[in-house]
Parts: sequence; structure tokens; C-alpha cells
Amino acid sequence: MGSALETGTPSFVDRFPQEASVVKAALTSSFIALFLGAVFGLIQGLHRTDVFRFLDSQYYYTVLTAHGVLMVVSFTIFFLVGIFTWAVVRSLDRPVEDIRYTWAWYGLMVVGTLMAVVAILGGFVPSTELSADVLYTFYAPLQAHPLFYGGLAIFIIGTWLAGADWFRSWYAWKQEHPDERIPLQTFMVLTTMLMWYIATIGIAIAVVGFLLPWSLGLIESVNPLLTRTLFWFWGHPVVYFWLMPAYLLWYTVLPSISGGRLFSDPLARVVFVLFLLLSTPVGIHHQYVDPGIAEGFKLIAMTNTMFLLLPSLLTAFTVVASMEHGARQRGGSGLFGWLRALPWRNPAFTGMALAGLMFAAGGFSGMINAGMNINYLIHNTLWVPGHFHLTVGTAVALTFMAASYWLWPQLTNKPLFSRPIALTQTVVWFVGMALMSNAMHVMGLFGVPRRTAEPQYEGFEFVASFGSITELRMQLALGATLLFISTVLFVSNIALSTGSPTRTGLGQPLSKPLSPAADSPEVLDNLKLWFGIAMVLVVLAYMLPLASIVGDSGVIDRGVSAAPVMIDLLTGLNPVTAVTEAVSRLSVAIVGVVP
Amino acid sequence: MQDGRDMEEEQTVRELSHDEFDPNGTLALIAVYFVILLAMWVFMYFVEFLGNELTVVG
Repeated sequence: MGSALETGTPSFVDRFPQEASVVKAALTSSFIALFLGAVFGLIQGLHRTDVFRFLDSQYYYTVLTAHGVLMVVSFTIFFLVGIFTWAVVRSLDRPVEDIRYTWAWYGLMVVGTLMAVVAILGGFVPSTELSADVLYTFYAPLQAHPLFYGGLAIFIIGTWLAGADWFRSWYAWKQEHPDERIPLQTFMVLTTMLMWYIATIGIAIAVVGFLLPWSLGLIESVNPLLTRTLFWFWGHPVVYFWLMPAYLLWYTVLPSISGGRLFSDPLARVVFVLFLLLSTPVGIHHQYVDPGIAEGFKLIAMTNTMFLLLPSLLTAFTVVASMEHGARQRGGSGLFGWLRALPWRNPAFTGMALAGLMFAAGGFSGMINAGMNINYLIHNTLWVPGHFHLTVGTAVALTFMAASYWLWPQLTNKPLFSRPIALTQTVVWFVGMALMSNAMHVMGLFGVPRRTAEPQYEGFEFVASFGSITELRMQLALGATLLFISTVLFVSNIALSTGSPTRTGLGQPLSKPLSPAADSPEVLDNLKLWFGIAMVLVVLAYMLPLASIVGDSGVIDRGVSAAPVMIDLLTGLNPVTAVTEAVSRLSVAIVGVVP
Repeated sequence: MQDGRDMEEEQTVRELSHDEFDPNGTLALIAVYFVILLAMWVFMYFVEFLGNELTVVG
């Protein structure tokens, strides 16, 4: 760990002003996405419950796509690159190798986001050709404007380059510290990025190989099951890509805020290695009801998924034990009495602790999702959004907001505008999500579908075993409103902090683990070994299902037509003209966006 | 406005080393969590199998 930062006096921005600017920019991008995503979240929450409808229902899917993409791609991943840059620079105690390169990957991510967001928002203006009402999962044969797929590809390339930046820092550090263990935060960043490199193979092939050429009219059709399977090849590990920065904060920041020390550095390393190994070969558990994939492959995915419970339970133990260590150092006693000694008035602590509590609840609904038989009960119902609003929507989002209260002053040398507002904000989020997610889970059990603008049908009523559906709708709408208020409180608190007077000495020290890295075997730091095993597991899990999908209906399924059709099929044109035409259309689209 | 340092709320009254600390409270909390999980599974059994009519295929 960086000794200069352990004294608590100089802040991160004092030590690394250039890197602090990049981290601030990334976090600011993430907060803008969070705010916009929250606006769309509120609109859809009020629309589908029929509390307040001001948009025609045909725009519901534009709203839903914007909410999904802004929240789970832009908000989460911009925050991730910010926090990972901070973590690597801080834990290696060295600046990035070339700050221009760092700004370059951040710039690519911004350009990619703008392209995708413009394509999505184009859905509100029917007179334009722009539209990407394909939801976050962009399943074919739903088709988006090429700008959407192009933006996504550029965004992902930005994250690849960011990962290379952190590997480069580590490599340079290793030359100067050949016999030292990888500092814990850097270890977490590197294992997460190895997982990301494997996971993004799926999305890169789906987008660049099929969906982008298809939307440009270069290929006539795609095989929807193939692109869907490639999507989930990435779509499940991306869940851990959201979670790993939250885990990094729980393992390395939360113990210090609690007044204690991380219980075990080796256990933390084991957890991140397990996520590298197990995150990817499980994606087919999102496709339990997809025809065309044999039940046996689904069973393998389910088994792998259940193994993933192990690192999550290890985390529950290690993180709670670290908090307990803090509480007991602060004078707490008794089997449960120590909980009272925790710093509940600190918004950074309370936010992260409440996020962890919600994650425990999400663990249960996740187990239901993961079980092949019981999944049929809740598949495509409102239960599923109920689940992921507990995980990414609270465990991740609330941890990010809480951590911002701790980190932002260290990036700016300006104290937080209001700590009471921050504390209120975390509690309002928790209460809002408890209401909304509970209503979603219960409605899901009664069969209310997800992704539906008007789940109110003539001649059919959903029957609730207890309470009433109307009551649950109101609960959902109230929860969504509270979550929106909480987001506004968060964003405005951070924005108003920029007006605070500049101070010095805002650096916060991080405590050393009780059980250090030296207590664990060095093989844990052998990244090549874990990467190799992870690749083998992915090949084993995906080779046969993918071969079977291609064998059944080919790489391109000619019987499938796009909906809606974005580009006229280029029938009758020769290939050269077709490519030229497509490239010119794409460039016109890009020029229209980038000034 | 608060000083970032306030947020740290350092109130350590004793230092506990690795050997002096047994996370019994954590064990108790996780045991409670497992009991809740078990209860929820039993609840789901009622929802899935007893809340619906029999499904006969074929």
C-alpha cells in the first residue's frame, strides 16, 4: 500500500493531481448517467403502474432502453473505470505511465456512450431514422440503428484500453518490486479485468461480427439464438463487472470506515480468483426457457452458477467480520450488541452496510432465478427486475454513492456539502428500494410480466393471494419516486460540494489487513495460471452449445427478418457498392453526432 | 459543511490483533441469514407447488 497516503494528511489529489482529474471526470460521467437513468426510471415506474402516463406507450421501450443502458452500462462502468484508476494508482503509489493515454481511453468511452445514447433518444423523434428500442439486451431480431452498435463497440474498446493502462502500471511497478506481492487493490483490478477480457469476447463477436453488419445491411440476417447466446456469454459476467468495484470498496475501504481492519487479505484474493474462474461459464442460466439449447447444457450452467455462491458467501463472512472487528475496537460487545457500535451516522458506512444487507436479500432471489425448475415460475415476470434492483440497483449503486461521499473530498480537496443530507439519501434509497423491489418480487410471483408498458388487460385480472395488485402497484410507484428523490439528493449534494472552500489534509488512511497477503501461497498471484484455467472452463461450457446452435440453424439464419427494419436490404447491389453505401451511412450518422 | 476527517469517526478504544479477535457476531449473523434462507425456500415451495393447480403434460 502507498505509504505516503497512509498518513492521512495529503489527499489523493495532492499526490496525483493528473490522475485525480481523470477519476473525477469518470465519476462525473457516471453521475450524469445515473441522473438521466433515474429520470427514465421514474417515468417507466409511473407509466407501467398507470399512476401517471404522459407518453404514448409506444415510447415505453425507448424509455426502458435508455434507463437500462444508462444505468447498467454508463453509470456502473464509468464509475468502475474511475474507482479502478484510483485503486491502482493509490495501491501501487505511482502515477499512470502516460496520462494522455489515460485520457484517450476515457475519451473513447465518452464518444461511444454519446453515440449509443443519441441512437436511443432518436426513438422519441419518429421523423429521424435513428432508433434503438432494443432494450439493454438488444436481442435480434430487434434491430437498432448502426450508431447504437458502433457506440457500444467503441465504449467496450475504451474499457479494454483502460485495462491495458492498469496492466501497464502493474508491469512497471513489478520491475521495481520484483519480490513483492501484488497490492490487494491492484490484484482485484487485474483479476476483474482478466474476467472482462474473456467476457467481452462474446459481445465483440455478437456486435462486430453480426449485429453491426446486419444493421448496416451488409448481411441479410442473423441467427437470433447465436447472438443471444453470445450476449449472455458477456451478459452474466458483466454482472460481476458491476459488482467487483463494490467488492473492492467493501474489502478495502469499508473495514477502515468501520474503525477496523480487513479480516483476511488471502480470503479476498481467493474470492476474486473464484469470480475470474466462474463468472463466464454460467451465461446459459439466462436462457433456461430458450428452445434450441439442450437441457444438459443448461444443467451444467446451473451447476456452475451454484458454485458462484461460494465466493459470495466468503465475501459475506469476510466483510461482516471486518466490520465486527471495527465495532469491537470501538468498544462494541455481545453477540449482536456490537452492531450498535458501528458508525451509523457516517453516510459512507451506512450506505455500504445497507447495500450489503440488500445484497443478502438479492442472494435469495438470485438462487430462485438460478434453479432450472423454479426459474420457470418467475421467468420474464416482474420478479427478475425486482432481483436485479437489489443487486446492481442497490448493492452496487448504493455502495458507489456511499463510497463517493468518502472519496469525492479526497479527489477535490473540498469537503462534502452536507453530511446529514447524505445520510438521509442513503436511507431514502434503502426504503425506496425495499418498497419497489418487494412489490416487484410479489407481483412477479403472481405472474405480472416485465418489459410491458401496460400490464393491465381487459377481461383478465391478476389475482393476489394477499393484499391486492393495485396496492402493489402503488407500492412500486412510491418506491420509484423515493429512489428518484434519493438520486436528486445524491447528485445535488456532490454538485454543491464543488462550491465548498478548498481544504487541506482531507486524505483518509486505509488500514492494513489483520491477515496479510504473506499468509497466503504465492500461487494466488499467478494471473497467467488463473486466466488459463478460466479460458479452459469457458471453452468447456460454451464449445458444445455454440457448435450445436450453429449446426442446427447456421451462423446466419436466413429465415429471420429484422424488426423494425432500419436499412433497406441492399438487394441487387454489388458488394463494393453495398459496403460503400453502408460506410457512408455510418459516417453521416457519426458526423451528425460529433460536432 | 463537514471536514472529510470527521467522517472517519475514529473512536477506537482498543486495538484487537488477529489472535484476540474471534468473529462470533459474524457467525451468529450468518446463522440467522441461513435460517431466513431456509424459511424462504419453504415459502417458495408453497408458492410453486401448492399455490398452483397440477400441470399434466401429454
